[in-house]
Amino acid sequence: MSIIKSYGIALPHFRVEDSTLHPKGKKGVMKAVCFSDEDIITLAFQAASDIPKNNIDGVFFASSSPVFHNRYHASYLADLLNLPQGILALDFTNSARSGTDALLLANDLIDSGKYKNILVVASDVSFPEIGKELTAPFGHAACVILLSNEKGSAEILLAKSFSSSMAEEFSYKLNNIQYDPRYSRDAGFKNNLIESIKNIVSKPQSIDAVILNSLYSRMAGGIFAKAGFEEKQFAKDSLNLKIGNTGAVHALLLLINELENGRKNILLADYTNGTNIFEIKSTAAFINKHLQEQLNNYDLVKTYQDYLQLRKTGNFNSLKYETKEMFSSEMMQEREKETLLYLKGLKCAECGTIYYLKAARCKKCKCDKFYTVQLKDTGTVYAFTSEHYFPSSFPPITMAVIDLDGGGRMTIQQTDTMYPEKNKIEIESKIKLVLRKMIENDAKPNYFWKAIAL
Amino acid sequence: MNKQTDIAIIGIGITKFGELFHQSYDDLVHDAALQAVADAKISLDDIGAAWLSTAFPEIGVFKGRSGMDLSEPLSLYNIPVTRVSNFCASGADAIRNAVNALRAGECDVAMALGVEKLRDRQPQDSIVKMMVEYGHPFLQKGFTAAGTFAVYANRMMKEYGVTREDISNISVKNHLHGSLNEKAFYRKPCSLDEVMKSQMVADPLTVLDSCPTTDGAACVIMVRAEDVDKNKHNPIFIKGIGLSVSTGWDLPFFDSNHDFLSFESTRTAAKMAYKQAGITKPIDELDLIEVHDCFSIVELLTYEDLGLCKQGEAKDLIRGKETQLGGKIPVNVSGGLLSCGHPVGATGIRMVVEVSNHLRGNAGARQVKKARRGLTHNIGGPGAIASVIILEN
Repeated sequence: MSIIKSYGIALPHFRVEDSTLHPKGKKGVMKAVCFSDEDIITLAFQAASDIPKNNIDGVFFASSSPVFHNRYHASYLADLLNLPQGILALDFTNSARSGTDALLLANDLIDSGKYKNILVVASDVSFPEIGKELTAPFGHAACVILLSNEKGSAEILLAKSFSSSMAEEFSYKLNNIQYDPRYSRDAGFKNNLIESIKNIVSKPQSIDAVILNSLYSRMAGGIFAKAGFEEKQFAKDSLNLKIGNTGAVHALLLLINELENGRKNILLADYTNGTNIFEIKSTAAFINKHLQEQLNNYDLVKTYQDYLQLRKTGNFNSLKYETKEMFSSEMMQEREKETLLYLKGLKCAECGTIYYLKAARCKKCKCDKFYTVQLKDTGTVYAFTSEHYFPSSFPPITMAVIDLDGGGRMTIQQTDTMYPEKNKIEIESKIKLVLRKMIENDAKPNYFWKAIAL
Repeated sequence: MNKQTDIAIIGIGITKFGELFHQSYDDLVHDAALQAVADAKISLDDIGAAWLSTAFPEIGVFKGRSGMDLSEPLSLYNIPVTRVSNFCASGADAIRNAVNALRAGECDVAMALGVEKLRDRQPQDSIVKMMVEYGHPFLQKGFTAAGTFAVYANRMMKEYGVTREDISNISVKNHLHGSLNEKAFYRKPCSLDEVMKSQMVADPLTVLDSCPTTDGAACVIMVRAEDVDKNKHNPIFIKGIGLSVSTGWDLPFFDSNHDFLSFESTRTAAKMAYKQAGITKPIDELDLIEVHDCFSIVELLTYEDLGLCKQGEAKDLIRGKETQLGGKIPVNVSGGLLSCGHPVGATGIRMVVEVSNHLRGNAGARQVKKARRGLTHNIGGPGAIASVIILEN
């Protein structure tokens, strides 16, 4: 069986309260929402950024809100992460269950012995129709789990999938369809869940957290009771109130949440048009609290107007200037990706000056010999300004000249600046680089580094 | 280098600067060139070679992409004409090329003409559009021209105790000067309060700390000093001309050696020009200066780069009103780019025309008394290219 070797979480910095979304919404109930330059790719990249990248031989990308069609998110992300070309890279899209679909298949492939380390990525960013924010579940997040045949902190004891022909809410040719909930619940969900939990290998008493990720989770108590579980074993979905329902990411987040909370034996059932069922045994203490940290670190979107501005990610206009298109070039991005994306700098062999951009000769000492060095993604602001006329969903854009820790200088935009008075940077502020959409409304992928205040 | 032949300016011409909706690019070329030809008391056909400076044809009217856009409006054919493009130093570079051709003997009479037609579009459709839509898709994306200089302002404030008032007082001074210049775009003086409270463009630079992009053209006609006809001409002599490309478009913002307190290009170009003119103490040996005040901070910083004061002391010159008309070394008595506006390709030549007028004693209400020697300075790109020209009567 495979092992959870490492994991990463990315929650956007902003939350919107239900009371902001609708007069009938509750205060304190929140959805995680992307800033205008984030999407499933940037969240996935952020979640994967601290995971050890050596010996990864597969990447699975799961999302119910894909941005590409006829292009694999998994191979795109693998390239952003500088993983080797040609590794197994598959997409699992189209369903809120696709996160655990990916986990299941990754587990089976590692079991087969053909693969050693598979990165399971789930990322979802979607907004409901305007006015339906309280009724349609949403929330933005990404979760990355590195499954491995090596050592790790949790082991997957069981991974099985039970398909069902019964669906509840789905779309047909972009038409949204919802069957009578009693039909889909009783004929679909209940029967499917009963069948799936027959396969549990552990004794019910030995499980200390039962996670059920389903629209019908409140109705499942009887089924689990019949199978020998008690109510206290149920792990309530506390994330739903803090970040919303994060779609394909949600089941994985619930699992990580219980592992971070110190649960040892976990049963995870993820139901959407069929059940994926897992038993996970935590073999070592989870010392990282990536999820808990990010759950507690956010800013609230203040008004519905701000929320509308935020989700107008196709709008890249300021009051002063409108633009339709900017120059971009896939060839240029590919050619320059060692520098642009992977932050490979040059170090002068003579005087040691480190350059972010390629140079024929050192500006300082004219030496023409350089070594390639890996630049760091943290730094200090050397100079800055706020640009009030550059188009942006949230002007002004702050431009920061940054001295990277360990050498090299970059000048980039600050991001997450929905409220410029917050996260204000000045000379000597500490910052971190994050990958974001450079051009919010561009019709092509355009990911580059921006700075967030630490 | 051997002793160089002196070059004399014998004809100058300049259009009104501003929103010249009634004049086309060709009209501007024609207007400036014919003024200069008349001033030089020559015929158009005496011109042996010409240099046309237009920096941004693609954000203007697609004119100025080659030398033919000088020939056509003047019906001046069958001579060499070269288009010069070196960002905001384009005009000065056109003069430099003409000077070198005269020295090399390619021609006996040379014309340098700078023209820019930017106001056939909305203001945001020109320079801002260029910064937003053109260029590398990632590097420096987010900057407008103002921002690339505003970072210098913030660094100067941090390092040298320069205040926002010091920076904006440059604009107050130049707008006061501009009110005396009938060719300037803005002719209304403004208060410190008005500058500081005007629309913020890039902190700490406001709209009134920024020059407007305008239409305009300026022209000079030059000969070798030995060819000056004393009965006919009122010559101004080019005693020094330096131009330096000292960094690149992106490099300043990605180079950890760069301190954002100084422009190496200005220092290098000034060194070249001072050496040729034999100047060692610029503040004592110059009578007036036209500085490239595209944004007020650039003028302040350039006081130091031109050696008018020590590094960090520029603020004292503006606080002591030393660079105002009547002060020790008047800077931008034309009103500068802040008042005249900045038709990019024309600005460097406009400055030479301005200083020439002072050296001839023809500058009217803003005449710098007893002006014998003046300097013009341009800086282009993100401070990458600078030119310095020294003129004497």
